Amino acid sequence: MLELNMDLKNKFEEAAKAMQLRLRQKPSTQVLRNMILEKGIGSFNQCERLNYQELSNIVEKGGIVGVDGSTNNTGGPYPYLLTLQQALAKVCNQEKGHVTITDAFSPLTMIASMGEEEYREFVKENLACLEVKAAIAAFEQYSPRVILLDGSLVRYKIEAAPLWEKLKNRALSQNTILVGIVEGISTGVISECLKDRLPKSGYPASDWEILFGLLQVGEMLEIAPGLFKEGFRTCFLRSSVDPKPIGIDLPEEQQVYLTEVANLVFTLTPRDGRGIPLWLDIIDKNVRISDTIMEGLLSTYMGEEYVEFLKPKRQKREM
Amino acid sequence: MQVVGLTTPQEVYVASKDRKFRINELLVLEDPYQGNLIGEVVESNSYNRFIPLSIGSGIHDADVIESLKHLGYSISEDEINIAKVKLLTEANFPVVTGCPVRLPTFDEVRGYLLKGKREDGFLLGEIKNTEETAATMEDELKGLCEMYSRGKIYKTRNVPFFLDLRSFQQYPHIGVFGGSGSGKSFGLRVIMEEVMKHRFPALMLDPHYEMEFSESQDNTMEKKDFKDDFRKFQIGEHIGVEFLHLSRGDLLALLSAVSPLTEAMASAIAELHLRGDTYLSFSNRLELLIEALEMGRPRVEQALRQDMEPMEKEKYKKLRQLLEEYQNIPLPSVQGIAWRLRRLHNSGLFSRDIKLVKEAMMQGKLAVVQGPIWLLQVFSTYLLSNVYRQRRDYKDGELKGEASGEYFPPFIIATDEAHNFAPKGRDAATKDIITEIAQEGRKYGVFLVLATQRPTLLDETVTAQLNTKVIFRTVRASDIATITEETDIKTEEARRLPYLPSGDAFMSSPLFGRTVAIRVRFPHTRSPHTQNPLDEIQIHRETTEDKLLESIKPHLPIYAANFARAVEEINRDTGENYQVRTLKAALDTLVEKGKLKKQTSPLGDIFL
Ligand SMILES: Nc1ncnc2c1ncn2[C@@H]1O[C@H](COP(=O)(O)OP(=O)(O)O)[C@@H](O)[C@H]1O
Ligand SMILES: [Mg+2]
Repeated sequence: MLELNMDLKNKFEEAAKAMQLRLRQKPSTQVLRNMILEKGIGSFNQCERLNYQELSNIVEKGGIVGVDGSTNNTGGPYPYLLTLQQALAKVCNQEKGHVTITDAFSPLTMIASMGEEEYREFVKENLACLEVKAAIAAFEQYSPRVILLDGSLVRYKIEAAPLWEKLKNRALSQNTILVGIVEGISTGVISECLKDRLPKSGYPASDWEILFGLLQVGEMLEIAPGLFKEGFRTCFLRSSVDPKPIGIDLPEEQQVYLTEVANLVFTLTPRDGRGIPLWLDIIDKNVRISDTIMEGLLSTYMGEEYVEFLKPKRQKREM
Repeated sequence: MQVVGLTTPQEVYVASKDRKFRINELLVLEDPYQGNLIGEVVESNSYNRFIPLSIGSGIHDADVIESLKHLGYSISEDEINIAKVKLLTEANFPVVTGCPVRLPTFDEVRGYLLKGKREDGFLLGEIKNTEETAATMEDELKGLCEMYSRGKIYKTRNVPFFLDLRSFQQYPHIGVFGGSGSGKSFGLRVIMEEVMKHRFPALMLDPHYEMEFSESQDNTMEKKDFKDDFRKFQIGEHIGVEFLHLSRGDLLALLSAVSPLTEAMASAIAELHLRGDTYLSFSNRLELLIEALEMGRPRVEQALRQDMEPMEKEKYKKLRQLLEEYQNIPLPSVQGIAWRLRRLHNSGLFSRDIKLVKEAMMQGKLAVVQGPIWLLQVFSTYLLSNVYRQRRDYKDGELKGEASGEYFPPFIIATDEAHNFAPKGRDAATKDIITEIAQEGRKYGVFLVLATQRPTLLDETVTAQLNTKVIFRTVRASDIATITEETDIKTEEARRLPYLPSGDAFMSSPLFGRTVAIRVRFPHTRSPHTQNPLDEIQIHRETTEDKLLESIKPHLPIYAANFARAVEEINRDTGENYQVRTLKAALDTLVEKGKLKKQTSPLGDIFL
């Protein structure tokens, strides 16, 4: 092994120690469960797998649509790049089909010039818009019972507000349940409520950190009304053997369906997987724009010389 | 279809979204630089692109997929098919990834599928999974044979498989391997039918009494039998050995085949068997010697001193002479030889000769030789040596330019249970001659077709000489290992051996330079005992019942008073041997089946 710089080693050790301390001081799962209950943060419930009859009922009411999106960039450093985006809404019942909405642009050719940070923000928002658009189109074409969106619903409200409102209003009027499936939970609702009872080293903590290993497989924590972002209800569910839970969001107006939706998500999630319903996984793989596709498109539509022009130095060095 | 992933000059992967690949299919890879390359599918997989490979193994995961199905998702929609393809001839460079792949037309692969002229070929069946290619064949090659599968007979839609008879010159011997029920007998039957179609002289040893070619299969479209093309002989019944022509070695082999000989017996035979002996002279000598040894010298001398008929006197003189001549031979040895000889004699072995067999062969027919396996071994040692010698002598004479000997044609020798005739690691009467033919037969146009369910038990020297091998389903690991060693069968194919359906086989032949997956055609003829034992019993029962019904009709109604007389009369008419009790039971059975009526009355049962 290479001789490590002494200073680097020490610094790293220090950081690791602090992290260890934080983990060691984390209260036991039982203690945490009690705290959560005592503080009225929520209630624990065991989910149940839906039987085929219940699944058929869902199909009869319109079935399930999954929505996901994907972004890929190609080329060099900002702004010498191309961004490709794609959103897909797909009905489980394949006779019906799917909706794909795509977009492609480059900062160089956009009318409003913007900085790199701003551009990144734009890309994010644009993807959210594409996803909601796809969801709306699917809603109109298939009138599904449930729409599963990959990611928090709050994100759509923030990043694609007008479209989200439109989707929500229509869904509410036709009783289509909107569900956000959150793989990477970033909220900190629980630790915020337990602020005074957690050890200093353990605050603030993300909700997933608190719940890591705390739930049984199939167990969910339904967060009490009012604690989560305004207009939404949420629960955390350990949907597979993975100790890290996922989040499930619903519009406040549809909170009565929370348990039913959690059961559905649990039913569709492989026990040994990372906790995402298989249907969303399938859509994720369908929608993903791979680097190979990017390169193929680039060389086809731009020509080799331009590709050369866009290729960053770093990538050339590796070749 | 296109080539995907990493390629080599020998092997590529081909993917298709809508076509499932079938093993042993030939494909054309359209390499833009190297031109069209022909490859063979050696592995075929299908999977859903979007469902991770880890999914579907656990029970819960299967549940999830099932749930998705209930929501309307069908797994096959996003399925992708991948084939591992081996190039039939190595390319100069790795194949270009992404190059298009398609099914070949027949002309593009003719050379890989058909060898030799069609008239000179044994039509063994079809080459598996070649339907699309077969559609582009010339019409003369289409639908040449009937296939049988899942209870249905149909004309083949695949490319026919021919085994070139001319290539026997180069690759003379065939091995047919496969476990019980794998289709060996069917395969052997088809080979022999083809032999007969070509009027190639042949000799078949049939330990199972199943090689009968006079009955056409019931359910075929075209009836065909070989009544006039084969002759069936039972040892002892139709054919046998001429004792006079037996060499000392032959005789030893014959006797030891009944039961192994002791050293003492073997040397006794050497002393007792004389040139020019007939069965009678030899067996007489044995019987007399036994009598003499049992009496002992003093009693023989004593008898000779008494007054007796001249005939009798002669006999005792003879006894004395034998005692003098063979004083060192112990009685038990002579007795042992004698009962072995009697057993051979009782089988009829010595009362016939092999002329009929030779005659059939000379006429270009198939001679089927049947007998219990022990006798077959003994007899075929003699028979094979004899016909082989005759062919060899003729051919050698021809080579030396002295075409003096009587013509004897080239021929094929076929047998099932070959491991009994040339066993590995132990002696058998037939082993020497079979080994000799395996090694030298090619020169003389004598070819072997050896079938066995235990290739591992077959003598290695012989196995090594079997150039062409037909391999049916094989389950035993040791046999699979032997087969892998002895053939060019690929690992992928060896792995499939235990799962081959009956009638499917791999042909491994140097002529093709690769293994060809075939399905053996449906034989034209059937073996005499394919009747299911259950059916046999049922049919037998039905006919006896019907017979009974016919014979009792004149005696109806039968009631208690005339029962005894009815029994008597029925016995007289049918030749059966009914008792009152058994007839009553038989009648009750008929009543149960509704063939007869029964009424109860104060006087007992009345059958109407
Ligand atoms: N070529 C074939 N086509 C159709 N069925 C076959 C074929 N070969 C074998 N079978 C079926 O398999 C059974 C067993 O075959 P058989 O040749 O008697 O096996 P083996 O001699 O290897 O024990 C046959 O009775 C027949 O039903
Ligand atoms: Mg058999």
